[in-house]
Amino acid sequence: MRSRRNQAPRIALLAAALAIFLVPLVWTGLAALGLQPDSTTRPPSWIGPLTLDHFLEIGVAEPSFMQELVTSTLSAACAATLAVAVAFLAAYALARSASGASRAAAQGFLVLASLPVMAYVIPLSDLMRRTHLLDTFGGVVLSEAAVTAPLAVFVLHGALAQLPTEWEEAAVLDGAGLAAIVGRVVLPLAAPSLAATAIVLFVIDWNMLLVPLVLTSGDIKTIPVALSDFFTFERELEWPTAAAALIVSLAPVAVLVTVFHGVLDRFSLDVATAA
Amino acid sequence: MRLTRRDRLVLFSPLAVLLGGWLLLPALLGFMATFSTYSPFSTTLNFAGLDNYASVVSDPQFAAAARNLAIFTAVAVPLELVVGFGVAYILRLPVRGRTLWRILLLVPWLVSPIASGVMWHFLLGGATGILDFVLGWLGQPEAPSPMGDPRLALPTAIAVEVWRISPFVTFLLLPSLASIPTERWEDAILSGATWFGRLMNVALPSVRPLLLTITMLLVGLAFGTFDSVLILTGGGPGTATLTPALYSYSRAFVANDWPVGATAGWLIAAGVLAAGLVYLWLARQRAAE
Repeated sequence: MRSRRNQAPRIALLAAALAIFLVPLVWTGLAALGLQPDSTTRPPSWIGPLTLDHFLEIGVAEPSFMQELVTSTLSAACAATLAVAVAFLAAYALARSASGASRAAAQGFLVLASLPVMAYVIPLSDLMRRTHLLDTFGGVVLSEAAVTAPLAVFVLHGALAQLPTEWEEAAVLDGAGLAAIVGRVVLPLAAPSLAATAIVLFVIDWNMLLVPLVLTSGDIKTIPVALSDFFTFERELEWPTAAAALIVSLAPVAVLVTVFHGVLDRFSLDVATAA
Repeated sequence: MRLTRRDRLVLFSPLAVLLGGWLLLPALLGFMATFSTYSPFSTTLNFAGLDNYASVVSDPQFAAAARNLAIFTAVAVPLELVVGFGVAYILRLPVRGRTLWRILLLVPWLVSPIASGVMWHFLLGGATGILDFVLGWLGQPEAPSPMGDPRLALPTAIAVEVWRISPFVTFLLLPSLASIPTERWEDAILSGATWFGRLMNVALPSVRPLLLTITMLLVGLAFGTFDSVLILTGGGPGTATLTPALYSYSRAFVANDWPVGATAGWLIAAGVLAAGLVYLWLARQRAAE
């Protein structure tokens, strides 16, 4: 009863928060559709007409934009999958170790997860050049996976430490080996946490600039690199075209998060458990 | 299940290869290179002692970047925590359309730092932006972009980052706040606790470890601030929004002064690792309680 009566002020506050957080993006969306404000009239007015032409102009300003979308999707998907897979195995080993040591190790991984890429990307680019991984898809994927794996270890450690161990013990009594236990017992139980972590890592990889910027000279180009190129090469882009590119770059992750919103709670809860 | 030594080795080795090869090895090689004249572009290699550190620390540009970063971290991180917590606190109770609210309120975090910089660059400057539109409605003349003003550039960059990061803080805090048992709120209300008392005695204690973890992540993000200011201000005007990461990048890849760039990068790492030690100490204090 109480919460229902209190809904109105809370909805008002939420609406205010929503306006602050979303008006800039709505503004961008309208510009992408050709609807722009004219601030010179009093009061300011809107000029149209509505059009989808600006989305086509992206391909003119950046001919390989479709290719870059594909590269971004593939590299983020591969990096997120690799990081989660590798982190899952390590986090399981941590979660089944002595609790004091395992907690301290997990906290160490959180510190590592907080380390900015800039701290080591300069020597990394040199190392990649010397091992002929510069400008390769594999080099970008492995580097992005290494950036995000520590966070995945921290989160998955929280998730796995919470799992009941009875199933694993029963499997041991049945004579199951390590691979069978991890693959057939732990993996299905941890699947929601793995999926949630993979989605968050995909978003982080999708938006990552520094790794693809420094480790490639244009052959393996992702969307953030393309967006920064729009400006750094002094070709000041028209705002509606830039707006359309922004909307296109945001849409895939927005759809991903909307479709999987149910499982994403798991990520926050696992972080809380790990903390 | 009890793992043998061999099991642990098998389970850890993929991570060890990935982190060893693509994070720890470059970090270590970079660290060693900071004491030399090493550069991929030069053929000579000499021991340089602390010369690189001396040239970074004595560079007024780096001093400005360090000062900006101190302000950025001290202002942006608390604001992100307060705004993120505030929205999560409002959303913790059932409300009509809660799932939709939650998804919509996460969207700014999905915008890449670089895209956020491009977007705000246009929204704050230019005739098609929000700023001039609002000023127009208020009957005010058009204003120059705050990014061009040396005093306003850093606060603007901070505000843009708070806009982008706070939704992630809300996302991380919300499930924990929502799962606090109803009885604990009711007990607090029955014992006469005010709104503020409930916040301090019920909400905060239950998410304190999580807040510590989030703070660590936010400090790391702040220390690495690079792509969010790259397009927004490019570090300017002058050095008003220059960050150590921008400094490091431009030294290594624009000015081709590799040793100085790598050294500045290591100073960022040292800052985050120092913050990490504080985090580990605080986490241990809590465990001992």
